[in-house]
Amino acid sequence: MTRRLLLLACSLCLMAGMAAAVPCDGDGDGTLTAPELATAILDSLDARFMGGTVEAPPSADLQDAAFVHTHWDGRALTITDTSGRTTTLTRPLRRIALFNSDTLDMLRSLGLEPDRVVGVSKYVLEDPVFYPEYQGTANLGSTWSPDYEKAAGIRPDAVILYASISESSCADIEKTLSAIDPEIHFFRFDSYRPAVYADEARTLGLLLGKKEEAERFLTFYENATGTVAEVVDAVPVKDRVPVYLESWNDYKSAGKGSGYDEKIQLAGGRNIFGENPVEYPVVDPEAVISRNPDVIIKIVGAGETAFGGYSDDDRSSFEQVLRAIGDRPVWNQIKAVRDGRVHIIHTDVIGGPDYFIGTAYLAKWFYPDLFGDLDPRAIHQQYLEEFQRLDYDLDEHGTFVYPA
Amino acid sequence: MTPKRTLLLCILVFLLAAPAAAGSVARTITPQEGGLDITLTVTGIPVGGIVETLPDGCTWMETDHPADRTRVSSGKVAFAVIGEETINYRAQGPQDAAEAFTGTWEDLLTGESGAVGAGGARDPGSGAAPKEAPGFLPAAALAALAVAYRWRCSR
Repeated sequence: MTRRLLLLACSLCLMAGMAAAVPCDGDGDGTLTAPELATAILDSLDARFMGGTVEAPPSADLQDAAFVHTHWDGRALTITDTSGRTTTLTRPLRRIALFNSDTLDMLRSLGLEPDRVVGVSKYVLEDPVFYPEYQGTANLGSTWSPDYEKAAGIRPDAVILYASISESSCADIEKTLSAIDPEIHFFRFDSYRPAVYADEARTLGLLLGKKEEAERFLTFYENATGTVAEVVDAVPVKDRVPVYLESWNDYKSAGKGSGYDEKIQLAGGRNIFGENPVEYPVVDPEAVISRNPDVIIKIVGAGETAFGGYSDDDRSSFEQVLRAIGDRPVWNQIKAVRDGRVHIIHTDVIGGPDYFIGTAYLAKWFYPDLFGDLDPRAIHQQYLEEFQRLDYDLDEHGTFVYPA
Repeated sequence: MTPKRTLLLCILVFLLAAPAAAGSVARTITPQEGGLDITLTVTGIPVGGIVETLPDGCTWMETDHPADRTRVSSGKVAFAVIGEETINYRAQGPQDAAEAFTGTWEDLLTGESGAVGAGGARDPGSGAAPKEAPGFLPAAALAALAVAYRWRCSR
């Protein structure tokens, strides 16, 4: 395998060396003007259809030039990703490999053509219901166990990795692949963190020539998040609903600065372990009883609770989880259990790029009187149909929250 | 919604969506004294190219398209399209030559191409013939709709 990788690296190095200039920029001043593009188009048509002998640009250059002129004002594009790295591109990205499946969801929301994605993580291939169009795409493995031979073999022009999680694994992938093919551009995005979500969508929209699509998606997204924020911002801090959130591992909660802590706050709740310095602390059941939360949120969809989501229509497992929480010793004294305010939510709608659907559910559970008109299910259905472009009816399929 | 109703709805959506899915260039020819006025209407092609072939007996006269986006050679004329939606040009020749104009277009952003005046587009890298003849998609969808309706009524 090492020999094959070395051979691949040598051949890619030989092919490398394409000048980093804007294609069809006749005078080489770094700006492709409309007259320069027109000349290139006419030269190409002349050579192919009119018997002309003028030297015409290769069709790939011409298509890249059309993209650069249309989407980047005829100039090289310099962007900064979420890790803070700056990259300058003179051509569009046409062969994208993603180890980050959350960014794949975001790219789908931006209307990226599936044929521009040449490699995906194994998790995408394990989920044919949610990713039907990528089932024939090359399997790159995972961030923790990448298939380097496959990743280099598909000759990506860009590899997208996480910015904030698995940092050392992502750094290893970058180091290994850039040694094989120095021409690959690496980008770091998260696509699941509320703090950078909109910025990432705009950056990716600009990068991929989907600027208008990004704004259209963000209008939908900001409408969903804004509806919640507008109401919860008016709730005084002292009146915020105390919430205990538990991940799929029993008694593993969310501490200060964690993603789930942020989502509880966005929905107007007060995380009862929000001052814990550990990001995901395992808490003492007694501590939950003594802090007596008004609402309990249990996340399922991974570990021992790997059920529910898009490919599971059976709610019975959710019911069992709900019942088991109420059956924990002395937990019947907790206000949330007594008042029937224990809710189960699947990680698919709270842990990734569609987290805003989950925060809408949380807000409605925290403040049922304030969010009588909020319909998280409708937001979810619109997201699936209009932005994920999936033919998926939530009335007939999937299990995401319980009680519904 | 019943499966039958869903099928009918899908066909209807396909029927309505098909004409707007790809770019196209339509040609309108108006006979004038001593020549022909030709208008090309460009739809959904922000950046691309068009090559028109003038019929035998016709000669090139002029266009309102910018000179640096037009090239004429050997009975053919090439237009570079960068945002234009209409191109007018004039040819000298007999009025009965109007039917003999041919042309091809390319969309450089999508890679699609097609014949001027035809409704269909062909994918990049496909053969010379357009994938669909003019009006094929709507006609096929209408036929499917009719079959589905008859099937539904017969049950």
